[in-house]
Amino acid sequence: MTSVATGTDLGERATLHRRRYTDRKSIIALLLFLPPSLILFTAFVVLPMIDAATFSFFDWNGYGPITDFVGFENYADVITHRNFGTAVRNSLIVVAVSLLIQLPLAMWCAIALAERGAHINLIRVLFFLPYMLAEVAAGLIWKFVYDGNYGLLPAIGGAIGVDMPFVLGDKLWVIPAIMLVITWKYFGFHMMIFIAGLQSIPNEVIEAARLDGVKKWQIVRHIKIPMIRSAIVISVFFAITGALQLFDLIIPLSNGGPSHSSHTIVTFLYQFGILRMKLGFGGAVSVLLFIACVIVALAYRRILFKVEQN
Amino acid sequence: MKHIALAAMLGLAAIAPAQAQTVVRHLHITSIPAEVELMNSIAADFMAQNPDIVVELPFLENEAFKAKLTTLLQSADAPDVFHSWGGGVFYEQAAAGVLRPIEDVLSDEAKANVGTAGISAFTAPDGHLYGVARDVSEVVLWYNKTLFEQAGVDPASMETWDGFLAGVQAFKDAGITPIAIGAKDKWPAHFWWSKLVVRLAGQEGFAAAARGEGDGFAGEDFVKAGEYFLELAALDPWQEGFLAANYGDASGLFGDGNAAMHLMGDWDYGAMKDNSADKNGIPDEELGILPFPTIEGGKGDPTDTLGGLGGVLFSRNASDAAVKWIEFFNNTENQAKYAADAYYIPIAKGAADVMTNPFKVQIGQNISNAHWHALFFDQALGPNVGGVVNDISAELAANAMSAEEAAELIKEAVDDEL
Repeated sequence: MTSVATGTDLGERATLHRRRYTDRKSIIALLLFLPPSLILFTAFVVLPMIDAATFSFFDWNGYGPITDFVGFENYADVITHRNFGTAVRNSLIVVAVSLLIQLPLAMWCAIALAERGAHINLIRVLFFLPYMLAEVAAGLIWKFVYDGNYGLLPAIGGAIGVDMPFVLGDKLWVIPAIMLVITWKYFGFHMMIFIAGLQSIPNEVIEAARLDGVKKWQIVRHIKIPMIRSAIVISVFFAITGALQLFDLIIPLSNGGPSHSSHTIVTFLYQFGILRMKLGFGGAVSVLLFIACVIVALAYRRILFKVEQN
Repeated sequence: MKHIALAAMLGLAAIAPAQAQTVVRHLHITSIPAEVELMNSIAADFMAQNPDIVVELPFLENEAFKAKLTTLLQSADAPDVFHSWGGGVFYEQAAAGVLRPIEDVLSDEAKANVGTAGISAFTAPDGHLYGVARDVSEVVLWYNKTLFEQAGVDPASMETWDGFLAGVQAFKDAGITPIAIGAKDKWPAHFWWSKLVVRLAGQEGFAAAARGEGDGFAGEDFVKAGEYFLELAALDPWQEGFLAANYGDASGLFGDGNAAMHLMGDWDYGAMKDNSADKNGIPDEELGILPFPTIEGGKGDPTDTLGGLGGVLFSRNASDAAVKWIEFFNNTENQAKYAADAYYIPIAKGAADVMTNPFKVQIGQNISNAHWHALFFDQALGPNVGGVVNDISAELAANAMSAEEAAELIKEAVDDEL
């Protein structure tokens, strides 16, 4: 099995934990080790969340006491904002591209590179490198690649005799251009998760199938992919939540432009909430995003349980 | 315990020497080493004359400064004096009560030294004076004389709007990019809209719109400003890919001699060199400044300028010693040292007289002769309305929005603030 836990695994473990923590030593350990992390978690995760939720009901610019209660006005402002729809649409496009292009690509690479060997290791590292790069650095690199004057893209265009547009300044091309960078940046991460899963499949299973004359793609279809199901489950989850929170690639690439056409939900929050000192508005965006993420997480678990039971 | 501590403190206060040292912390954003050196030496002079005051000069990098200031000012760790660009953010700080009014502390001499423009730039809407102006900057139309000759455009013909448009067309015909612009950053685009508003609506019109009077920013003059902007944009005067270019890209393009004009602040004199490929930029003899074209029937005064007016603000807990330090720092003698090295154009009376850079000298004169020195609109109107101004400016530059819609959006943002 892989090291990644599935839903039922977690359930079983929780019962085990409950049983284990009834003895006295465990309680002491709990009292000793829980408070520091609980305090940190409360101070840096729970309280800011409560704060953001509070701000979202006030008209507040970051200075002075929070006094102007406006009810759900900020939420109404967010939902009717002329650029909010675009931001949501873009975030959903990122989710779709992640699921439909990035993960299949990662799977394909993983299957091709799951074998051991020096040259394979090298290719794997090369594919994984973009993921290790800081998001902002990656954004800056691709900004240069896309630059219409001296970038790589116009150079390629020149070589094949096509006049390339300034993709990051073009409403039509900016989204595909960003999607390419996202896929390039994160497919290596998912590939590694899949490789780890593939390598945990016992060799005998595949050998046996091969001896039975099962074709290569059938092994992939009926043995490899089903056996790394839990790795796929976790990858899909990361891909969706990561896509919803996408921020630091966009800022150096397009800064949400041109004409606010490439905002994600988070860059929208930053641009219109933080930079324009409308923290109540920003709070409302973050609460909406939080609710969306929680719904995704819960729905995802639910769907998985259903599949598990079948 | 509490009582003992209190008693101890009272005791200490009683026996403390009368000459206790007051610490003044002046948070600045100066990063050029030689300029910091100059600042340190001025502080040393001050401390030598005032042994009871210690001046500390903590530094924060520009962007970090902006990000940290909101929380810093509301904490116990707030600096006594800090850098400010004036305008809308400062009004928010004043309204939140994190600043100290200094009109009763600042000497008449120091008040006179910054002039009426300096005083009004650091007076909040509540009527109190919270800071001291230090430097001025102006947005001007930089131009490349060589390219003008190549295209056969006479700079003098560009002084009216029609002449200007004709000149732009002449550059297009000659295959030269007429104007560099960093529209990704948006604020460079807003200079065009702002200059047109300065020309069309003038000081009174702008002030009335900012107060939300009448049609506000949806009024006739502002719609017209948008229309004139669109007229220019229709000629496609910018470099290719201008929506993906930031300020540095545009500044470099102009510095490399690949665009005939750049509407930018006086700081671009240095930045244009720094951003150019060979770091030399356009030599002084090939560089020129054009006044922004005048518009017939516009309500603005021809001498009106657009730019910045930077300085320092005093936080709630600032002592009188902090004001004393700034009076010293900002006196003509000390500011002349900044002028001599061309770090900025000081506002202190006479300090700019020692400037030798011809462009800075001319800009200094423009500002002192101005009927109205309009603060950068995105600063003056505060972060929210200012952000909308920047947005619509980039849209207008791209010919992607109607003048009416642009005007309406700014009006909405102002109404939202009121």
